[in-house]
Amino acid sequence: MNTIIENLQQFWQYTGFANCNYQYLLMIAIGILFIYLAIAKEWEPMLLVPIGFGIIIGNIPLFQGLQVGIYEEGSVLNILYQGVRQGFYPPLIFLGIGAMTDFSALISNPKLLLIGGACQFGIFGAYAIALAIGFSPAEAGAIGIIGGADGPTAIFLSSRLAPDLMGAIAVSAYSYMALVPVIQPPIMRLLTTDKERLIRMKPPRAVSPTEKKIFPIVGFLLTAFIVPSGIPLLGMLFFGNLIKESGVTRRLAETARGPLVDIVTMLIGLTVGCSTQADKFIQWNSIKIFLLGALSFVIATAAGVLFVKFFNLFLKEGNKINPLIGNSGVSAVPDSARVSNTVGLKYDNKNYLLMHAMGPNVAGVIGSAVAAGILLGFLA
Amino acid sequence: MKNLKYILVLGCLFVALTATAQSQSSMRLNEILLHNTTDFQDDFGQHNAWIELFNESYGTVDIGGCYLTNDPNNLKKYIIPKGDVITKIKPRQHTLFWADNNPYHGTFHTNFTIEAGQEILFVSSDGRTVVDRIVVPEMGENESFGRLKDGEGAIDGSQQGWHITNWTSPSTNNSGVDEESKSEKMRETDPYGWILSITAMSVVFLALIILAMLFKLTGRISIKNANKKTAKTVSITGKEIQIDATDIAGETYAAIAMALHLYNEQNSSHDEESLVVTMAHTDRSYSPWSSKIYTLRQTPIVNKNKK
Repeated sequence: MNTIIENLQQFWQYTGFANCNYQYLLMIAIGILFIYLAIAKEWEPMLLVPIGFGIIIGNIPLFQGLQVGIYEEGSVLNILYQGVRQGFYPPLIFLGIGAMTDFSALISNPKLLLIGGACQFGIFGAYAIALAIGFSPAEAGAIGIIGGADGPTAIFLSSRLAPDLMGAIAVSAYSYMALVPVIQPPIMRLLTTDKERLIRMKPPRAVSPTEKKIFPIVGFLLTAFIVPSGIPLLGMLFFGNLIKESGVTRRLAETARGPLVDIVTMLIGLTVGCSTQADKFIQWNSIKIFLLGALSFVIATAAGVLFVKFFNLFLKEGNKINPLIGNSGVSAVPDSARVSNTVGLKYDNKNYLLMHAMGPNVAGVIGSAVAAGILLGFLA
Repeated sequence: MKNLKYILVLGCLFVALTATAQSQSSMRLNEILLHNTTDFQDDFGQHNAWIELFNESYGTVDIGGCYLTNDPNNLKKYIIPKGDVITKIKPRQHTLFWADNNPYHGTFHTNFTIEAGQEILFVSSDGRTVVDRIVVPEMGENESFGRLKDGEGAIDGSQQGWHITNWTSPSTNNSGVDEESKSEKMRETDPYGWILSITAMSVVFLALIILAMLFKLTGRISIKNANKKTAKTVSITGKEIQIDATDIAGETYAAIAMALHLYNEQNSSHDEESLVVTMAHTDRSYSPWSSKIYTLRQTPIVNKNKK
């Protein structure tokens, strides 16, 4: 009888109930909230469902040594987590993004590229603030990249510059990407006048297939020569686009933008969620990172809108750009472009800005990859 | 075409072979100590002369099967044992060999000792290619002769980039263990982050401006070419007119597409599969990678009797 009681007591020690504390319950509640937002509000469900469930998985209180936790070397979750830790999931996602992105809007109106550049102020604004509140330059760089609104880039850079903060940075980046429709519109309205919101832009010209084929090759050569440290992201992005546009590798393109990117999205979301284990995640630094992340999104959006207003000073009447597409320079593709379109339609129900906004949107992807390369070069 | 294939195969072979050689060629003799009295001691508690090697590449290099020697006429004097996991030198890492003429003490103990004036050579696994060589000068007790910076300097025995070091650094950086990381340096030179921000934003804008200018240019060329290819057609008045494809608005394309769609809809009431009007280019040139196209889909049968 005693043996049975001892066994049961021993078994109790293995259960999650015995090892639980309020921190784990708090994280599980956050995971459930993410899943709720994804299902009920449809905020980035592709990201929030895997991350939310990952948070729940990662916060089941464990008896250490069972070789199942994400931080226990050799466990299945730990092996899957290596894609995040070693940084090879993000380039694979970029491959998929390249294979699904149509750069025509950008090629037809190349000056929109500059809006994608202006929004990178969010990264460096957050970098400066993070330095001021005591983070090291490498940590500040990893936190700042949240402002690029690019989850894979944020994971890639933080895995190199500040691996200990990666969980908080990744969750913060993806959460704010999901919140783009909430964060951006008030800033856009605040910084634009009624007259500016009604600007109608010229329809983009038709782009020839040859131009589309040239773009990934020239785009890669140029950006990679300027920022070689961005090669993993830029190389995969432009390679993905080349297999899409070449017209002779349709199967490869379909795999890259379909099954491949879906698999990697699931794995990256789930493992990033798992990495938020309460004992490693609930710290003051995580709260600071969340605040800085929000700030970087605000700066990036404001910088994009203000840059368009400034740019318009030099453009002739008829060529002016609607500042409502300024927000789309943050690279949350295609959500920020959709926000431009939705806000634009509120003021003029026939002014469809989506195609125009896609230009700066994809330029933001290139811009944030270049910015990540620069930070890596200076701080790694 | 056949020749091209051979050239490609040979090219791949060449690249593969040189890649192997290249990895071993990344190894450098990095630091040498002759008279060891109080310096680093080996696993047997003995003070002996040592030779430090450094992997200057960013990939792991397996030095198993390579050779170390103090005799230019006998390049295969000491073979580094193959199949030992510890001979895989990680990127930018060091390893130490004891020149104690005691190879039975393990992989990292050579079968020779070294003296001033002798030349030390590291030879690749082919036993012929000298990867690095250096003539050892006379030095004091517990002084070492090493490169100023890890892996940098001459590899032809000329001693350029080498010096007698102030302190020995077995299995670690020659240029100082306390070298600051880039991040720490950045904190000192740019405590508020403005310099990095301005530099980085300038680079981002530079890259994007060049890209924008380039595509402005290619756009112009493309429009020019499109104008050359303007289609000639005959109007209802019988007069020949030119149509510029770039002048056609998107709405026109949409109207044409809708008309074609409606036409197909009207003609789809028959039992046979209707024809598909498509603008997509389908190239069916044979390739083993695309041969599925023949097995998975048959060309639709057109019922010629149907009006």
